[in-house]
Amino acid sequence: MHSTLKLTVSHAPFWHNGSSISTKSRNILLASLVAVIPGCYQYGMAAVGVVTLSIASAILWELLINFISRRPISVGDGNAALIGMMFAMMLPATMPWWAVITGTFFAVVIGKEIFGGIGANPFNPAVLAMTILMLSWADLFDFNAALLNYQFDFKAVYPLVLSKTFGASAVDPFALMDLLFGKQIGGIGSTFGIGLIAGGVYLILRGFVRWEISFSFLVGIFVSALCFNILNPEAYAGPGFHLLTGYTLIGAFFLATEDSSSPVNFIPMLIYGLLGGALTVLIRNIGTHIDGVLYAILIINLVNPIVDKIRPKALGKGV
Amino acid sequence: MIKRSFFGLVKPKLQYEIIDEAQAEPVRIKPGKQIMLYIDQPDENAGNALFKIGDPVKSGQKVTLSDGSADYLLSSKSGQISKISPFVGILGKKSTSLTIDVDGESSQSRDESFKSACQAPSLENARDFLAGLPGKPDFNVFFDSEKPVKAIVVLGADDDLLGITNQYFVKNNIIAIKTGIELLCKITGISHAILIVPQQLEQVAGSSGAIIKTVDSEYPSAHPELIMQHMLASEDVDAKSKSGIAFFSSEAVCAIGAAYTTGKFFLEKMVTFVSKDGNKRLVSVPIGTPLQDILNEFNETLNDGDRVVFGGPMKGVSVFSTDTPVMPDTDTIIIQDKRQITEGSDIACINCGECVRVCPANIQVNQLIRFLEAGQYEEAADQHDLFSCIECGFCSYVCESRIPVFQHIKLAKHTLESMKAAEESNA
Repeated sequence: MHSTLKLTVSHAPFWHNGSSISTKSRNILLASLVAVIPGCYQYGMAAVGVVTLSIASAILWELLINFISRRPISVGDGNAALIGMMFAMMLPATMPWWAVITGTFFAVVIGKEIFGGIGANPFNPAVLAMTILMLSWADLFDFNAALLNYQFDFKAVYPLVLSKTFGASAVDPFALMDLLFGKQIGGIGSTFGIGLIAGGVYLILRGFVRWEISFSFLVGIFVSALCFNILNPEAYAGPGFHLLTGYTLIGAFFLATEDSSSPVNFIPMLIYGLLGGALTVLIRNIGTHIDGVLYAILIINLVNPIVDKIRPKALGKGV
Repeated sequence: MIKRSFFGLVKPKLQYEIIDEAQAEPVRIKPGKQIMLYIDQPDENAGNALFKIGDPVKSGQKVTLSDGSADYLLSSKSGQISKISPFVGILGKKSTSLTIDVDGESSQSRDESFKSACQAPSLENARDFLAGLPGKPDFNVFFDSEKPVKAIVVLGADDDLLGITNQYFVKNNIIAIKTGIELLCKITGISHAILIVPQQLEQVAGSSGAIIKTVDSEYPSAHPELIMQHMLASEDVDAKSKSGIAFFSSEAVCAIGAAYTTGKFFLEKMVTFVSKDGNKRLVSVPIGTPLQDILNEFNETLNDGDRVVFGGPMKGVSVFSTDTPVMPDTDTIIIQDKRQITEGSDIACINCGECVRVCPANIQVNQLIRFLEAGQYEEAADQHDLFSCIECGFCSYVCESRIPVFQHIKLAKHTLESMKAAEESNA
């Protein structure tokens, strides 16, 4: 007796907790808006233009690669949009359109797709693109020059430049509360500290971001900046300043936590974050670059596979 | 289906089903017109098999394809064999299905060959007669001279979600379990008997006379391998070699006890039946009853695209026909509506690490799956702990890319094992 009923047959388990990549991307995008909207408010329509162009071009680059490599269309998972958003958050509002499009090309095509697409990228795509651009067109990222035509009700100097050039005393006028509420110049989505923290905490509570990485990254910055500050308080700014300026907060909550380029075990996550934080402060205080977050993240991305070997023994495997 | 909680900071927790204080009595399903028995043997010698179409079968009679085979079932009803056909199960396992047209209620006859054997209970006659009892007790472990069994563990907890079958027997039939355990100890000569129960049933279980151990309510703590690893490590058993322990379900122990004391087999399987709306009922069905008979009893209708799962939601097997019979080890049957099904995908692993953090065996699933997807099974086994997997299914459950990780693992293990078997037979 052949019944015509066609049942779904698949392998166990028959339950799924309902998580998906698109949910995750959507939530991270949502959380980033908390920082991006105040940024757009501060820098006006130019910033909106940069953000939208960045997201749109990132999606189009991925679509193009999908067609060229004859792979299924993968823009629906929201990862390309997310890369575009992360990239735009770090840019100054005055970024020319061609640099944005070139940047998303580096992020999506060079940073992600040529390694095999989502999950295969060894570096955070947005960070990789930023560093390529920063090394290629350093002038575009001189925040002081870029934002010259803006009128702000606060000191319109990139704080990290001040501390680098004139020592710790030069940053005294920056009250930490002002820095926290975005009264500093910088990338579109990377200055409004309280928004980044709120977004980051939301992502941590929802489990989209591993708290271990964000937490240890911030601890790394705090501890190493404190050491410098104690050794030579005149030359090196205090830990609070380092935590709230440059790309620190966006780095801790949005960039270092990118899935594919970060470790998954507990101790490796802590090492990864601490190392990133310490490297950031080292580059800022001793290196030649103004901000060290992006380079530090690239370096910890590089050591991720090695530190992730520190892991508990599997069941039934020797002592 | 239990979804991810809004706050995802903590590891996902899946709670075992706990039997209700006032659990309704099981619904007894009357035998239908036919029963079907799946025997784990390919139908190779179809011509001179022990059974032919038209042969009468008595209730309680051993049904097997060749003499002295360890693969047999006990027919729960008497009748006539109407169909013998080959059947391919999961991972290409070849078995044979026998369809028996059941005699009327009045003309049921019982096979009496066990009557004499039960006078002198022994391991041999347990192996020869009782392996077809509900709960599918496995006596072969006692005959492995290389790894002597040191402890008998009776599972009074269900090792997959939603099921309450084993708990039902602890709650309602602890005396029968006691009898069963005593008998098992007597015939095996092993005095070390442990009864595993959920915390709620600890008090009830006390009167069984066995050592009581409790498992907590989170999946997969009642998984036999984890019980071995965590709970018996202190005991005088070698936790690393699997065969130091013989596992029995509480249902099987009850059935063994009953078989020796009465000389008759009790061949009705207790099944937790979960309908589409999540309604959970205990049903008592003769082994071999096709699923359709149960569906008819509860007026459950199936549509195209629905899914029927034999076993729990994490480790069960989905079937492709409503003719599939209840087997001696079918503890749970779940009906899922088309809309409840989450489809898998072929998106690559994004390395989020959910699976790694949830894995009870500490396997680096994110590394493992890359090798499995590439078909590099030997590397996966050598370097990435493929064989440490206890097959709980948690990795697939949490996977954000919705990769069928568990299926990859099963396929890899199966492929490696069949390669090994082929090598040995060629040597």
